[in-house]
Amino acid sequence: MEYRKTEESSSEADLMVKMKVIGVGGAGSNIVDRLQLAGLAGVDLAVVNTDLQSLSNSLVPEKICIGKSVTGGLGAGGDLEVGREAAISDKTALEKCVKDIDLLFIATGLGGGTGTGAAPVIAEMANRAGALVISFCCLPFTVERAARASVAQDGLDDLREVCNAVIPLPNDLLIQASDEDASFLDAFSQADAWIERAIKSLWAMMHRAGVMNIDFAQLRQVFSKKAGKTLFGLGQGAGPDAAERVIEDLRLCPLLHTPEFSKQADHLLVNIIGGASFSMTDAQRIMESITDEFGQDANLVMGAVIDEALGDKVEVCVIGTSDVSSKTMLRKPRIASQIKAIEPEQPSVRAEDVQIGNDGSGSRRKKRKTEQHEFSFTENAPKGEFENAEGYLFEGQDLDTPTFLRKGVKIPL
Amino acid sequence: MYKSKIIAGVEIGTSKVAVLLGEIEEGRSLNIIGMGQCSSRGVQKGEVIDFHEASDCVHAAIQAAENQAGIAIDGVYLALSGSHVNGYASEASISITSENGKATREDVNQVMAMAQAKELPENRAVIHHLRRPYKLDGRIVDNPVNLEGERLEASCWTVHGDARKMSDAIHVINGLNLHVDDVVLAALASSAVVATADEKRNGCLVIDIGRGATDFAMYSSGCCISAGSLPIGGDHISNDLSIGLRMRLKQAESLKQRYGSAQVKRSDKSERVWLNNDFEIGDRTIPLWSIEKIVELRVTEIFEVVKKRLGAYGMPEKLSGGVILSGGGAHLKNIEDCAEKVFRVHARTGDNGSMATDELAEPAYSTALGLLYYGLQFQSKRSETMQRGSGLFGRLKSLLK
Repeated sequence: MEYRKTEESSSEADLMVKMKVIGVGGAGSNIVDRLQLAGLAGVDLAVVNTDLQSLSNSLVPEKICIGKSVTGGLGAGGDLEVGREAAISDKTALEKCVKDIDLLFIATGLGGGTGTGAAPVIAEMANRAGALVISFCCLPFTVERAARASVAQDGLDDLREVCNAVIPLPNDLLIQASDEDASFLDAFSQADAWIERAIKSLWAMMHRAGVMNIDFAQLRQVFSKKAGKTLFGLGQGAGPDAAERVIEDLRLCPLLHTPEFSKQADHLLVNIIGGASFSMTDAQRIMESITDEFGQDANLVMGAVIDEALGDKVEVCVIGTSDVSSKTMLRKPRIASQIKAIEPEQPSVRAEDVQIGNDGSGSRRKKRKTEQHEFSFTENAPKGEFENAEGYLFEGQDLDTPTFLRKGVKIPL
Repeated sequence: MYKSKIIAGVEIGTSKVAVLLGEIEEGRSLNIIGMGQCSSRGVQKGEVIDFHEASDCVHAAIQAAENQAGIAIDGVYLALSGSHVNGYASEASISITSENGKATREDVNQVMAMAQAKELPENRAVIHHLRRPYKLDGRIVDNPVNLEGERLEASCWTVHGDARKMSDAIHVINGLNLHVDDVVLAALASSAVVATADEKRNGCLVIDIGRGATDFAMYSSGCCISAGSLPIGGDHISNDLSIGLRMRLKQAESLKQRYGSAQVKRSDKSERVWLNNDFEIGDRTIPLWSIEKIVELRVTEIFEVVKKRLGAYGMPEKLSGGVILSGGGAHLKNIEDCAEKVFRVHARTGDNGSMATDELAEPAYSTALGLLYYGLQFQSKRSETMQRGSGLFGRLKSLLK
């Protein structure tokens, strides 16, 4: 144990990709608290909150209480302006927290004060410090109604301005994905599981020797642009025909059935983790169906990692970003301008530097932008009797396609 | 005095063509003297897609009804549904200028004409102008004539449809050498039968789930304030089952009728039922939970789409009369519970009990019966006012015949 520690901290640790997970706000810290990332070397955890009391309950060693001067440590009270001010007032502490990180995950719940207000500020800081920022944000239940939803939407737009990838996890999906009699905790642990699997998958990509290796530079390339809409899906399968099962599972992944994402991605990152028996043909088959599904001419990065411990299981994680010409791209970044007002001598966001090196592809993409529109995942899904009928589109979904397919509900046979 | 004493209602549905003949006695009550029906062909989602096949079915059904009644008809009331049906609200108001400050009939006619004056885009034809309650200085009145006030407001919900698709159905009837007395939105026809006057006054929603389409009509203060149709119906449930459980459509259809439920009622996921239940080779078992889940998702979605289409009217406080379900889809088990869950008001399955017995009491006949009811009202009204039949749709009709 002692030996391992020293080894890590000296030579390898410096070379290793530094990853950090920061939970922002109540929901975010809860998620980070529950994450079981033991055994993943080089992943640090931190929680940021305005509420001292809930911070003190957290098990995570690195805790930052922000905005004590603004809120007195009593929370943001659901006001996102307060959350934002709190983050700006404790700038130094936060900057220290995001320093020297290569890959930063932000977990937060949108719709409240701290998460919605502070998360974009932290993401902006991290981005400027040179980190690649991927945000997971839980969106409020539909029953929580309009006010929260619009706050959440604002937060989502803000985050998209400053993160390399934003993955929304609508709470409604939790109900759908879990059994009817599942407890509250069970349902939420589903969201944790999604985040956990995504982080683990990316970690494995960076740290394990892959059959087809992805290094951090490639990862950076995939996420070189600001996040438009991010596509995120997980699938797993086991048994002799694991490859097929993975594909089917991925297709049913509820995260892919939200109206939040666009099907065609410009950059696609696919990571496959397989057991010892995982074959090249399996990988080929999975990749083919994924590219069919998400974008034939995407800038695709594929990784395959063998993990003996998995046995005959196969896991796949797909992250895609696209720069759909949406209003978020045109909108003036509110937070960015605020922070710039405080320190005008800061250089521009690092992500843009990377893009310059991306010779010519930028202009090509601009051309494509206009053609791109949002597709529903189920566009090619079977419609049975109504295959040739004139479809009925309602809120972007073709209602001829079976409801259970559109909602991603698994039907046991 | 009346144009005819026999009225006929024809519903060209996706599952069946239903024809009812009624005789008006003394201008008030109605006797049903003939009925005919025929399974539909050439109709999908409530719209005619094969003219000849559809004509044959309609002909057979009308013939059967005529034979039973022993008479020949010359005109019919036709029920209309389909995705092309849409509606919008338009409003108008005038100041009352008469000396004594009372609204006159002319004022009322003028304000209604203004509310209905909006031009439709090309290829669209008006099916109904549904009048909403009048408002006199902001208060709701049933009939403003002779009431005192300064400002009279009227609004109507104009239901319009694709002229071509509407004329397809009218051509089928015309092709049999019959004329169409009027077209009636299917949901309006069935709500005339299944919803009571009380329910309409309190605010209620009638949803007619057919095989290929779902029609809905929303009532408030006794007037229909919104109506429409969506091309999703019972066939979609069967289709979902057939895709989800990998079986032929026929098998799915039978499975739906035997085990379909609009709510998952059992917690035990391991219970299974036989697909064909004929003890033949190839029969297999299907988890009951899967059947119920697929049906539940689809039916819930239908209600949710209706609710969204209604917008602010779909809120529970506007629906104290509840939700009334009719059409073949209302046979589905637990469908009331499902509707209650979505609309959060009381829901019931409509019956035609007040108007008919035996065979006709089935919710599947609500529309055809409603047509007769509509025809009856129309016939007695006709002597008073001749204002209907003109306008854009009148022109369309005269063109067709």
